[in-house]
Amino acid sequence: MSTAEPGWALPAILGRRTLALLSQLGGLALLARDLGRAARPEAGGLDRVELVRHLHRMGVRSVPVIAATAAFTGGIMVLQAAPFVEQFGAKDFVGFFATFVTFRELGPLLIGLIFNGRVGANNTAELATMVVTEQVDGLRALAIDPVSYLVLPRVVAMTLTMVALVLVGDAVALLGALGVAQVLLDVSLAQFLDSALSRLETWDLLVGLVKALLFGLGISLTSCFHGLRVRGGAPGVGRAVNASVVASAAGIFVADYLSTFLLP
Amino acid sequence: MPIRFANVHKSFGAKEVLRGVSLTIEDGECFFIVGASGVGKSVLIKHLVGLLRPDAGDVFLDEEEVSRLSEHALRPIRKRCAMVFQSSTLFDSMTCAENVALPLRKHRGLGAADALVEARRRLAGVRMEGFADALPAALGDGLRKRVAIARALTLEPEVVLFDEPTTSLDPVSARRTDQLIARLCRDDGVTAVVVSHDLSSIFGIADRIAMLYKGGVRFLGTPEEFRACDDPVVRQFVRGEAEGPMEV
Repeated sequence: MSTAEPGWALPAILGRRTLALLSQLGGLALLARDLGRAARPEAGGLDRVELVRHLHRMGVRSVPVIAATAAFTGGIMVLQAAPFVEQFGAKDFVGFFATFVTFRELGPLLIGLIFNGRVGANNTAELATMVVTEQVDGLRALAIDPVSYLVLPRVVAMTLTMVALVLVGDAVALLGALGVAQVLLDVSLAQFLDSALSRLETWDLLVGLVKALLFGLGISLTSCFHGLRVRGGAPGVGRAVNASVVASAAGIFVADYLSTFLLP
Repeated sequence: MPIRFANVHKSFGAKEVLRGVSLTIEDGECFFIVGASGVGKSVLIKHLVGLLRPDAGDVFLDEEEVSRLSEHALRPIRKRCAMVFQSSTLFDSMTCAENVALPLRKHRGLGAADALVEARRRLAGVRMEGFADALPAALGDGLRKRVAIARALTLEPEVVLFDEPTTSLDPVSARRTDQLIARLCRDDGVTAVVVSHDLSSIFGIADRIAMLYKGGVRFLGTPEEFRACDDPVVRQFVRGEAEGPMEV
């Protein structure tokens, strides 16, 4: 690393950070291009055995942690709102409020962050370990394209899984919200459902699912990218996981902001 | 499938590993590449399957220049030229049978179940049928290496690159591995390129030997010539002497 002249330290840091960011974005774009090529049947196509394995590992095994988090989050959401609901006599809005916030924002955002920590980090660590132990070279030596065999099934599995987990998480979060609303605010099931169904639109659910799709795609690409470009043995694996989790989390918030802005 | 290295140079940062290596390996030969640790033996053979690219010079397989081919164009070459890595490179998340089944599934068009049946048969060929359902992490180095050999041979390659195949094996397993390599060359006409320090292997099965030293070829010849060579560096290596002119 070169040292900058006095007075140029800040621009030098900013320049390095900008170059690093552009390098990451460029790398992600190249990986996305390679994925498109790998998806063609003549290039190997999608390995269905790997896809099913990852759907189970990343999706089915994530259900308990997602469900537990969603249930508490739904409950806490109503718990926080309860004093104001009582103060303004807004029990008729509890169902709508909980469902709207869960579908549009809380469900995809929270589950995206948990998914990033659990599945994204694990994916980066696994791929990075495969790189440093020469397993990826071993794959290449067997005339198997690592992007087609390792990355494509993971990206498809993580994207589909994220959407499915948001659907499951939304449902469980609403059960949590309903439970707390019944106990604390004496809101009945019929009242809760009527409040939600009379005001909600299908679009509200779809916006959340589009966000889930974007987050899943972003986490999968970012985690694969950082895993495959690891350098420097075991410490490099740690650095790659750290970089992947931070970049994906930042990406989730940026994508959330932009999609909220573009999908009214 | 003859192999030719023509004036191959390779550096990693400031470290110049290969400084103009030129070698020709004939069809069906059992060719050993020997030399001190870190001299660039593994680096050299990785050029054959495009895992590394030379900074200068060319690598030919069957008169086809492989060192400038794209990843996609290298795939047919890699099916004909298999590699057994020093670290075995078995996939941790798969059982031994699944590891061997993978190339069969991807390149032989076998379904998952058929590939596993064939993989078990291949594992029996290296006396590993009892470990078919074990994960590689549960096995020692020697057993992993045997599974890696079974996996490398699944596509019936014309050339097999062995990177230290007998390192970390017990003497009996090492000699069995030597027999397997010798049989491949003698009975199946496979060209074997073996990176090794194991003098028993070298003098047991090699047709010819190249010794790398300081980025170049220091010796090239038969095992008999290797044993009788009066070059002090070669002699020190053959005798395994701690003192001598060899710089490591």
